[in-house]
This record gives sequence, C-alpha cells and structure tokens, in this order.
Amino acid sequence: MIALMNVTKSFGKTVAVDDLSLRIEPGEIFGLLGPNGAGKSTSINMTVGLLNPDKGRIAIGDGGSPHDPAVREQLGIAPQALALYDELTAMENLRFFGKIQKMPSGVLKDRVPELLCKIGLWDRRNDRIKTYSGGMKRRLNLAVALIHHPRIVLLDEPTAGVDPQSRHALFESIGELRRDGVTVLLTTHYMEEAEKLSSRVGIMDKGRLLALGRVSDLIASHGGKSRLYAQRADREFFLETDDPMAELVGLQAGGTLLQFKVESPDLEHVFLNLTGRNLRD
Amino acid sequence: MNAILAIAHKDLKLLLRDKTGFFFTFFFPIIIAVFFGSIFSDNGGKPVGLHVMIVDNDQSVASEAFIAQLEASDEVSVQRSLKEEAVERVRLGKEVAYIEIKKGFGDAQERMFWGAPPEIELGIDPARRGTAGMLQGILMKYGVNAFQKRFSDPSLMRRSIQDSLDGIQSGSTMDDSRREHLTGFLTELDAYLDQPTPNVDGTGSGNGGFGGMNPLVVTARDVALEKRGPQSGYAISFPQGIMWGIIGCAASFGVSLVIERTRGTLMRLRTAPIDQLHILGGKALACFVTTCVLAAGTLGIAMLFFGIRPNSLVLLGISIISISFEFVGIMMLLSVLGRTERSAAGIGWAVLMMMSMIGGGMLPLFIMPEWMQTVSDISPVKWAMIAMEGSIWRQFSLNELLVPWMVLWGIGSVGFLSGVWMFRRSRSE
Repeated sequence: MIALMNVTKSFGKTVAVDDLSLRIEPGEIFGLLGPNGAGKSTSINMTVGLLNPDKGRIAIGDGGSPHDPAVREQLGIAPQALALYDELTAMENLRFFGKIQKMPSGVLKDRVPELLCKIGLWDRRNDRIKTYSGGMKRRLNLAVALIHHPRIVLLDEPTAGVDPQSRHALFESIGELRRDGVTVLLTTHYMEEAEKLSSRVGIMDKGRLLALGRVSDLIASHGGKSRLYAQRADREFFLETDDPMAELVGLQAGGTLLQFKVESPDLEHVFLNLTGRNLRD
Repeated sequence: MNAILAIAHKDLKLLLRDKTGFFFTFFFPIIIAVFFGSIFSDNGGKPVGLHVMIVDNDQSVASEAFIAQLEASDEVSVQRSLKEEAVERVRLGKEVAYIEIKKGFGDAQERMFWGAPPEIELGIDPARRGTAGMLQGILMKYGVNAFQKRFSDPSLMRRSIQDSLDGIQSGSTMDDSRREHLTGFLTELDAYLDQPTPNVDGTGSGNGGFGGMNPLVVTARDVALEKRGPQSGYAISFPQGIMWGIIGCAASFGVSLVIERTRGTLMRLRTAPIDQLHILGGKALACFVTTCVLAAGTLGIAMLFFGIRPNSLVLLGISIISISFEFVGIMMLLSVLGRTERSAAGIGWAVLMMMSMIGGGMLPLFIMPEWMQTVSDISPVKWAMIAMEGSIWRQFSLNELLVPWMVLWGIGSVGFLSGVWMFRRSRSE
C-alpha cells in the first residue's frame, strides 16, 4: 500500500506538488498521468524518500516511512534516467544492485540469470551496457528495480524513448508484476500506456491531482460525448452523442449509410476537458 | 560493511575500465616524476646548476682560467657564445643570463693595486631577477679566487708587485704624492714576501707570501642528505608526481559522485536499504585504495629504477596512509559541493589547484613572500609534501612527522564529516 496524504512540495516559488492525496492498494497498478512538469517525478521522489515533503505525510506498506530501511527493502524503483553503469555488463549491474539490496550471493546466482532471460538480454549478459540500444537499457533499468523481489515498484516513465519491440517487452514485464500481486506506481505521459496498464489513473497537472479513478469512470465523467461521423448519399453528418448506436440507427432509417466512423472519448479527451489543452502540449 | 565493499569494488572496476582515467591516475604521475626528475638531474644523478651563456672578449690566459673555473663548478653550466647571440637568447627567454668578460680582464687582474678592476658584464632575463643575485655571488666567488691564489703564491705576488711598480712609474695620470706612497708600500710588501711566514694553522714554516691566506671559508652542505649523501632530482620529482596523482584522483572520485547523481544511479543507492554513510564510505574506500596504490606503486618504481631510498618504509607507509586519508576527506567535501559534472570538476580543480599553488606544489615556497609562506600552512598540499618529503629524503624522525600526520588526519576528518553532513542534508532539499 502507498498513501500520500496532503503532500506538498515546493522548489523556491514553484509549487511542484500541491496538496496531493492518493492511496494505492496492494496489488494495484496505478498510473499517474500528466504532461512533463506536472509533478509526477517529484511525487515519486517523495514516495521513495529522496525528497521530504514540505507538508503532508507518506506511508508505505503497513504505514512505514520511506526512510525506514525495512520499508525500503520492499521498494523497487526504475528512475526515468537510465540509472545504470555503462562500463559494467548487464550481469555486473544486476549483481551490484542486488548486493546493495542485501541479497545473499547464493540467491543472486540464480536471480540474475532468471531476470536476464526474462528481459531477453541473456545473450548479451557479458557485454558492457554502453553497447546496448536504448530499449535494451530500458529493459535492464526495469530488471534492476525488480532484482530483489520488491512488493512495491515505482516506475518513472518506464517506456520513455523505446522502440515498439522493447515497449511490448516492458508491457509484458509490468503485466507479470500484476499477476504476481506487486503494487505498482507508474508515471507516464502516454495515455495509451496508462489505459493499457493501469487499473486506476490519477491525472496531474501543474502539481495538482485533477482527477482520480478507474479509466472507464474518468472517461465517462470527464471524457465528453462520442463523436460520430457518417455519410449518406444525400449528405454528411458530424455529431457528438452519448449513444452513437442509437444515432446510427436513426440515420440509417433516413437513407442508406455509405460509411461511418465513431470516435469514443479517451484519456486524452479527459485531460483536454480538465485542463483545456492537450496532454502533449 | 558488505555494501561499502560492493560500492568500493564497483568504483575500482569502473576506474580500471576507463582507460583514460586509468592512464591519468596511475601512469601520468610517473611520467611527470620521471620527466622533471630527468630535467633536474644530470647523468650522474647530481643536481645541475644554472645554464648561462659566456662571452670571452678578452681571450687572455686569465679569462680562459676564469671560464675553466666556471665550467668545473657545480653552480653553473656555461656555453661559449658571441655577444649578439647571447643577448638575443636571453632576450627571447631561452637562456637565464649571459656573462661577458670585458676586454682588459686579464691585464686588470695582473695589476692588483692600481687602475680599473677586472670587469664582467652580467645580462639577465628580467623575468628571472631572482637569479641575478645568485649569479653575482657565484661570479664574485670565482673572481676572488683569482686574487686569493695570487696572494697565497709569493712568485705570482712578486710578479704582480713588479708589474704594478713598473706601471706606477710609467703612469702619467697619477699624482706624485700618491705615486710615492704606493711605490713605498709595494717595495715594503716585496721585502715582506722575502721573509718566511708560518702556515695558516700556525705550525711550521710556509714558503713566504701570505701563507695560503684565505679571508673566509664557506663550506656548503646539503643538510637533509648528510646521512646518505646526495640523492637525485627524482627524490624531489617523485613526491611531486605522486602529489599530483593524488590530487587528480581526489578530483576524479569527487566528480564520480556527481555523475552518479546526474545519471540516476545515486537515486537507486539512496533508495536501497543501506545507510547514507555506506554510500560515501564505499566511495571513500575506493578513493583511499586508489591513492594508496598510486603512491605505493609510483614509489616502488622510484625505488627500483631511480635509486630512491626512503629513510624508513614504515614511516613512509604511515605518511602515504595519512595523505590518502586527507585527500579522501577533501574528496568527500568536494563531491557534495558540485551539482553538475562540470561544476564539480570546476570546483574540484579550482580548490585543489589553489591548495597546490599556495602549498608549494607548483612553486617552491621559498620564493613566495613571507606572509604567503605563513598562509600556506592552511594548504593540505603543504602538509602532504612535508610528510612525504620528510619520509623520503628529509630524514624526519618519528617525532618530527607526528605534527604533519596529525594535521593530515585532522583535515581529512573535517572534510569527511562535512561531506557526510552535507550529503545527508541534501536529502531534505
């Protein structure tokens, strides 16, 4: 469980996170969605104890502080930056971070190959990672976060700048975490990523949490109407409607439809409706 | 403890895999030491004197003897030249100075008691005024030697008296009264030389003249080397090379912590279930091991191939450990001051260069003003140099080394504790 209670953090006059409250249940994958500069990474940094909030409180697991080493043993983090040592091999990186997580050598001996196979880097295990592609490094970045079987994983923009193949592999890995009952807090500014991976989503902008809930609920409450485009022999139609099927039936009754297209609202629309601008602006 | 060892092991591995960093950490100091050691030593390993150009416009037996004296001396090495060339080379800064023996030098030396004295012109590079006084002293010494030799040799003295008497009689510029007094004095002196005189130690009987007169005896002695005799310039250049290696090492490790911060690996370390002290401890251990290996390895080469013989390996070992500890502490402090790699590198080099400059690492302390020499006490480099040189060639005793060691450990402790405090404090920013 992760709980942020009325957390505020400022840097000088800039309020990076403003009175943020959210609670992530065990085994849940929670997506924190927002544009760059929304306060997502600051929230992650406070959650893992790298930054102290100016106001509010953070509780991890059974209510422990992120500064407590026992709590930190349960945490795994994949920072947005590729936090790896370029001059070391994948194997050496995993071994090193495993030792830092106080894993016994005997356990590491099995765990490192297991993870390397899982992320598809076994064949490249002895190559220095400066020779890896961005996607390979991103996968290793995630593997390092998982080396010690953490119960809570924080992923800061886990698919930033990766190719479709690596993105797919990362989605697979995060899906496995869901199956293993691991609690995941991921930040992203890719709405399809949030929709696909998260059971619940929080939308942040300018340090504030604008909306929180299941993706379908958010779309229903903030996404607006579906957009229907239809073409009949006599004319074209462009409608915004809550029930596109009923509208299509009505249009068909007035004449044969040559073609139509229904655009359902998504998180992009949710963000647009909440902030008045696009997510990638 | 395992975390500290893991971090230290990782940092050493990273250092070994960075070919450029490895070269500049371990080999560059040796290159510096060998290069400067060879510059300051001749083939026999003895220090080389000032190199000056010499112009002989007299071409006399006396001028040739004077040049031969200089050539045989330890203080200067001379190169014969024409005046135009000598002046040009000094003007261009290629030579420190030139010495011109003026025409009439030999004649003037012969007539000791009247007329113009022998003349030498010393042309000095304005940027090296400090050496002018030194050269004047050297020239005076060899000039006086000629007179001393004449005074102590009755036959030469008598010849000079006779030449002077002839000159006085034929000289038209001298007034009669002075001519009379000088003639009387020289005649009396000539008669005095006929009498046997005791030797300078008062025993026996000399062979006339002034009995080996010597107005002043100055014996130079290299006090730091009296137990073992002179060592080569490598004894000086190797400690300096090691010092520069250690400074570079401290700067590199200081920057490495900032690199960890900017690349995000420090975030992983800080969120791991280890104490913040373990992170810094690992870095400190890696830096400590590297500086110790650097110093020990470089000194090993100095001992094996360049004839350096430290007074005591135990004292030298303690000095190296103390110096390493000091610079690990400084590294800790520097590592938390910079926010970016560029700023950390800039701060590191600026601070360490300043320490080195005022601490005698770049310019010898003795050429600095007195107040500067006092200020240099605050430089960690000064104390490191004292400890290292004291253990290698200054023949310091254990008691004499205690003070520099304590200062080194004090500076190291303050640096380390300040670094830890600032590192912990940075978490709450």
